[in-house]
Amino acid sequence: MYRKLRFSFAVLMSLTLLLSACAGTETTVEPQASQPTQASEVEEEPEVLGDTGGLPDVDPASVSGNVLIAGSSTVYPLTERMVERFIEEGYSGQITVDSVGSGAGLERFCVAGETDIAAASRGIEEEEIANCANIGRTPIEFRVGTDALAIAVSTENDFLTGVTLEQLAQIFSSDAVLWSDVNPEWPTEDILRFSPGTDSGTYDYFVEAVMMPVYGEEGDAAESAILNSENIQFSEDDNVLVQGVQGSPYAIGYFGYAYYIENEGTLKALAVDDVVPNEESAESGDYPLARPLFLYSDAQIMQSKPQVADFLNFYLTYVNDEILSVGYFPASDAAIEEAKQAWLTNNQ
Amino acid sequence: MENQADRMLRANQKVTETAGISLKKRVRPGEFIIQGFLFFAGAFSILTTLGILYALGKEAMLFFSSPEVNLVEFFTGTRWQPQALQFGILPLAIATLITTLIAMLVAIPLGLFVAIYLSEFASPGLRNLLKPVLEVLAGIPTVVYGYFALTFMTPLLRSVFGRDVVDIYNTASAGLVMGILILPLITSMAEDALSAVPRSLREAAYSLGATRLETAIQVVMPAAISGLAAAFIIGISRAVGETMIVAIAAGAGPNLTLNPFKGAETMTGHIVRISGGDLSYDSIDYNSVFAIGLMLFFLTFTLNIISRAFVQRFREVYE
Amino acid sequence: MIRPQNTYDRESESRGLSPLFDENLPTRHKISTVWRFIFRLSTIIAVIFLALLLYNITNQAFGYVAIENRVDPASLAVNEIPIEEMEKDVLIALLRENISSGLMRQLEREKPLSEHTRDEVYALVIEKVVRPEAVRTWLLTESLFQRNEIRAQMAQEYPQAELTFKSWLSPQFLKVPQSSEALHAGIRTAILGSLWTVGITILVAFPLGVGAAIYLEEYAGNSWTNRVIQTNINNLAGVPSIIYGMLGLAIFVRSLETFTSGAALGFSDPTTANGRTILSAGLTLTLLVLPLIIINSQEAIRAVPGSLRQASYGVGATRWQTVWHHVLPSALPGILTGTILSISRAIGETAPLVVVGAATFIAFDPDSPFSKFTTLPIQIYQWTSRPQAEFRNLAAAAILALLVLLLSMNAIAILLRNRFHRQGGN
Repeated sequence: MYRKLRFSFAVLMSLTLLLSACAGTETTVEPQASQPTQASEVEEEPEVLGDTGGLPDVDPASVSGNVLIAGSSTVYPLTERMVERFIEEGYSGQITVDSVGSGAGLERFCVAGETDIAAASRGIEEEEIANCANIGRTPIEFRVGTDALAIAVSTENDFLTGVTLEQLAQIFSSDAVLWSDVNPEWPTEDILRFSPGTDSGTYDYFVEAVMMPVYGEEGDAAESAILNSENIQFSEDDNVLVQGVQGSPYAIGYFGYAYYIENEGTLKALAVDDVVPNEESAESGDYPLARPLFLYSDAQIMQSKPQVADFLNFYLTYVNDEILSVGYFPASDAAIEEAKQAWLTNNQ
Repeated sequence: MENQADRMLRANQKVTETAGISLKKRVRPGEFIIQGFLFFAGAFSILTTLGILYALGKEAMLFFSSPEVNLVEFFTGTRWQPQALQFGILPLAIATLITTLIAMLVAIPLGLFVAIYLSEFASPGLRNLLKPVLEVLAGIPTVVYGYFALTFMTPLLRSVFGRDVVDIYNTASAGLVMGILILPLITSMAEDALSAVPRSLREAAYSLGATRLETAIQVVMPAAISGLAAAFIIGISRAVGETMIVAIAAGAGPNLTLNPFKGAETMTGHIVRISGGDLSYDSIDYNSVFAIGLMLFFLTFTLNIISRAFVQRFREVYE
Repeated sequence: MIRPQNTYDRESESRGLSPLFDENLPTRHKISTVWRFIFRLSTIIAVIFLALLLYNITNQAFGYVAIENRVDPASLAVNEIPIEEMEKDVLIALLRENISSGLMRQLEREKPLSEHTRDEVYALVIEKVVRPEAVRTWLLTESLFQRNEIRAQMAQEYPQAELTFKSWLSPQFLKVPQSSEALHAGIRTAILGSLWTVGITILVAFPLGVGAAIYLEEYAGNSWTNRVIQTNINNLAGVPSIIYGMLGLAIFVRSLETFTSGAALGFSDPTTANGRTILSAGLTLTLLVLPLIIINSQEAIRAVPGSLRQASYGVGATRWQTVWHHVLPSALPGILTGTILSISRAIGETAPLVVVGAATFIAFDPDSPFSKFTTLPIQIYQWTSRPQAEFRNLAAAAILALLVLLLSMNAIAILLRNRFHRQGGN
């Protein structure tokens, strides 16, 4: 008899499948191109082939082989978009992207030698360059964009619209437990903190740009301040942080701007030192927490795996088309030129 | 003088000689090889255990022998921050304890009651209906339970207790859902134990005028107590080792708190979070994760051995 | 409680009842009824849990979606002719103007636009230029019972959007790889990854597991070694799955990297070969599933009556011949059932594969055991972690797909067992 029950369960499930097949009007299915249009404006794209700022034109359909990318969770949405576009325009090989944090990504690149490209939301460090040298790799830096680090609170938070850098450092330190410890006008509630984990470039950047100016650059006072704070949750997965911040009016977190934009309805980005993060303030540098986004690769990899070179070429050429809709901001023209120059130099 | 046996023997010999068959035992190399393979297959499990001990042990030894790590601090320290060289396992252990406790509070009474109902009170028809339901519950992957915890249990707790009391990541919701996960396990083991009690005991109790309930509680249960204990211990072991539910719903980042409505990371959740990022080769972070893994392995291994000892005892009594 | 009674009640005795029974019988019955109610309630609660679980998932897998166009079709009108009424040539020109040259080139390569029908080009314009996206989703119950509120909300908050009823679980969903766009995401790569991984698991675990079971039941005496092996297997069955993941990471991904990455056999390029491949995942799951297969197969083999074996020995068969020709065939249904149940456990495992290293973004079909991978439970885990509501819906749809897969496997296992029982009649 319980066989019948089992069977009817299976039938029920199949009926569900059938129901799903009949219902729903959907458009066609392929992964879609990403166009940098804004709202209802249509931008003319008279893209002339060859107008790529000096880089040779690359046709994704003629590229084959695999590309392995791993690194920053901040850079991840941007890379994901570029990969999807690359595939849509004809690439048929195998690209994988892993969102593991800048530190872990650079480690896979420089210590294990497992990846072709490392993505980072901070600059590479001396130690990492030395590690790369140990396995015969010389990292080449490609600046691909700018992030305005978003200090996010829930839209239910009614007492904050902006903070100063100093207050921010205090908020994320072990000096303060309640909001009122930082500013007596704020509620006497626990500060629920959400921070990227120690493997994350965002964490490294935050310690350097926010904690160190207040707690000093000596030793690890700045890092200890944040690591020892109460009610803090660490995760390399920015989505987890977003959910955490969404959950309470007394929660605060920091992550890449793209993650804030994606969740604009439920999150509020605070102004820092009275500067609101947006395209102008990020590009002009007024926003104090604007930071660069990088990709790293190595000349020998680009030679032995031409698909990596082609992908980087494609990335640098079209990144400014996509970056705004992903939620980040274009790097300065000079920086992109420099990156393109680096590509050309290493691909002669 | 020939007797019948000798005559038969001679006849047989003649037959085999004529037919050219040798009755000596033939050497079959094929059998040998196959037996070798089968022995290897059997012994392979030993290799697995050795592998676990070696893989975990080697890194854990590296961890414990490194100068920054102090064994006392490991077991009693209240902060776990490898970056800051703080290696106190208490936050993780306590979070594991809280989720396990909550899970057991749900699974043990409910599991036991359902088992008693199924074995003592339910009609065979009802039993045949309910057992597949429990099997389905047991077969659902844990990631689905994690999803359930995050999208149903947490909002439920938040609406019941208030949004400022219950955080969006909390151990209570993970614990409750873990209880639901373990419920079928305890029910099936407890029911096996109760059913193994011979009818004769029940009938003796009935003949003395005991009601069904009294028989179930005062006669059958004590008789099956070792099997029931085994079931509970297996349940605890499963709760300690559960990963996905806590990874999704309980919180990230080691947090020392006894409040089940706040987020905290368990030992298993920590391992998953760190290895989802990356495990740097031969750094103290890497080794520390293996140290936690080793703790976990010993804990569950011990619980399982104790449970098995209980099962052996109750089996012996009735067989 | 039955209390011993010392007084002798004349009245009860005259009624023919022993005083012991009369005293507290009604109380005992009352207590009994109360507890019986509690037991029944517990059972109902257990059933309700399952119902709640399925309800929650189904609720998120279907419902209304507010779809907004990123680019307003009205703005694309040329000479005041809206795009719905445009001719094919005008549409093609529109397409060319609005998408990148690289994409245009690829579309032409796949099939020259002039050869498409007008409707196909229109569909491309909608997909690539207008690009609808999901801005808000509602639950199934809300969609069924609160239509008016939803419409009001739509009018207020999303005046530009269109409301459609969407089933997130659809044939499309099964055929398409993952994507950052919720409307276009699917579980193709995940399902293929799961199938490949489990394929390797079965290939290795089945012979090893059944072999070990045969050894323990048929060949092994009661020596100390064999008892240790038996205890060991029983205990391994209870080890948490994440420990197997760590073992897999340490051994298959790291130590045996040259083998599992395919470099030893020349399958992948040596620059970036690493051990996070389907092979490592499959082998890790093998270790996890092996104790279960062994225990189940042992029970199945134990159930074969001894008389069968004796008869076989009686006609002069060797031990292996007995096993192969007599014991195994009659134990096969039990073995198969146990294997299928273990495999369905393997399909649902997440934690060990996260540790071994499934990729975060992977959109191609795996083509060899040395491919990078993702599996269905891992995809569910990733989508669940994302805060946007649309990904919750996707996760629910993926869960339904997974549950259907598992239920079917279990149903097959039971059908197999029943069929063999009828056939074999052993």
